[in-house]
Amino acid sequence: MKTMIDNSETTFSNYGIYDLGDNLELSLPNTLIKFQRISDDAFSYFRENSEGKIIEKIIPIKSNDVKIELVPIRPLNYPARRTNYVFLKLDKEIHLGENSAASIFVHCPIEIGIFLIHGDNHESFDWVTCNPLNSRFSLYGSPDTGTLCKYAKVSLAADYDDSISYVNGVMHIVIENTLSFAQTISRIIFSMADNTLYYKDSKAIIDGIKITMKKRAAVNIAEVKTTLVDTEWTSSSTWKDEISSDHHVEMDLE
Amino acid sequence: MVIELLQSLSEMQLVGELTALSLLIGGIIMVGGIIIAKIAKILFHKYYAPSLPKDTAQNISKLLYFGILIISFLGFTSSQGIDLSGIMVAGGIFAVVIGFATQSVVSNLISGLFLIVEKPAKHGDTINLPDMGITGTLLDIGTFSSKVRRFDGTVTRIPNDKFFTSNIRSLTLSIVRRADVVVGISYDSDIENAISVMKNEIFQTMPFVLQIPEPEFRIDALGDSSVNIHVFVWYPKDDWGQAQPILLTTLKRALDQAGIEIPFPQRVIWTGKD
Repeated sequence: MKTMIDNSETTFSNYGIYDLGDNLELSLPNTLIKFQRISDDAFSYFRENSEGKIIEKIIPIKSNDVKIELVPIRPLNYPARRTNYVFLKLDKEIHLGENSAASIFVHCPIEIGIFLIHGDNHESFDWVTCNPLNSRFSLYGSPDTGTLCKYAKVSLAADYDDSISYVNGVMHIVIENTLSFAQTISRIIFSMADNTLYYKDSKAIIDGIKITMKKRAAVNIAEVKTTLVDTEWTSSSTWKDEISSDHHVEMDLE
Repeated sequence: MVIELLQSLSEMQLVGELTALSLLIGGIIMVGGIIIAKIAKILFHKYYAPSLPKDTAQNISKLLYFGILIISFLGFTSSQGIDLSGIMVAGGIFAVVIGFATQSVVSNLISGLFLIVEKPAKHGDTINLPDMGITGTLLDIGTFSSKVRRFDGTVTRIPNDKFFTSNIRSLTLSIVRRADVVVGISYDSDIENAISVMKNEIFQTMPFVLQIPEPEFRIDALGDSSVNIHVFVWYPKDDWGQAQPILLTTLKRALDQAGIEIPFPQRVIWTGKD
């Protein structure tokens, strides 16, 4: 893939809130973002993304009190917003014996959201991804009744500080096997609609999930629940959701 | 003045016991019913329809509109002192005659009702009717006919009985769809290498192609001039334009960059000697 931006010897912008002033330049891996005042009541926006595509917008403003927020967001927008579900393919399988549990950290991909703050308004403005190659779709289930998911290959992380800046955030996953036989876990599918992201400088962490493999009636299922992270890191703004997810998906055990 | 006018109208007999006053009252009921039906339809479309699926909203809207009209008509007939039981008997015979005369109209009406109940496709679905050679977006299932907007922008009206009895292929009912193309490589080329470079190019440059199920490559035929590889990729149902039309371009670019020949048809001519 052709990369148009030279990342060598570049200091990237941290997550956080920036005063717009007259000019603001934000730098991310493979991505350059520029805001420039073009009149008393308008700014221009320029973004060159990791695929060499240029996006330009005009932002009319009502007051001079305009800020920009740059934060990690859920990885659901690239290449297009189609689903709230995420399919994490673990690079190493996890073997869980009967009635046992595992606690792991994984590198979960993220995207970066750009929000406009003026007065009390907090608007989703744009988003970028710094690692588009690890942002694809997959199908869980059959073509007619299955679930479309965002797909990413993920590796295990050591702890919350192990995230790769701008590319992924660390997520804590607890897997509990209450079944009377062992299980091997190679993929995790869940709705990310309720997971909040948190940031500190250029690192990100994500609300975790707890997976309980259990028997319900005659069926073995994996129940997934979101678990909140107890952290002092700053909570990210939520990107405006455009997908309404009114169905519930449970992982089958194969 | 008004009372005198009404009194004179009540005394003005038109046919039998039908007076001008009762006809006026009937007219007011009917006109009032039409106005109420239209207002109810407008209010429904303004306040409730946006929160409902389009086809459901259209069906409820029609039910509301025609329901109020029928109630108004019944009010009109009772205000005129018309005994409907007599009409029912005569209507039965009349209906048989009309039924034969308007067979196709009734057929379309009934088919429309079945289409609304069965819902083989809903408003906005992309459908293909192979029997009629029509592919496009379903705009409306109406009382007598349905409308499909083809990809060239034209709208085709299909009588409901034909729509109901034909094979309907929904292109958007499944969550994902599959695109497939055939590409030929020369007999000198390494098939495994060709598949590898095509797979890599798809992954790199076609973000809408699903990773699971992953792109599939099958040797379709050992053709006259080339080894034909059938390539299948899956994509989200709404992103046909990001898969099928660019798949061949992507594969050709991958093969060109890897120096793998896509051969022209060729013949080996052997000239026999005496």
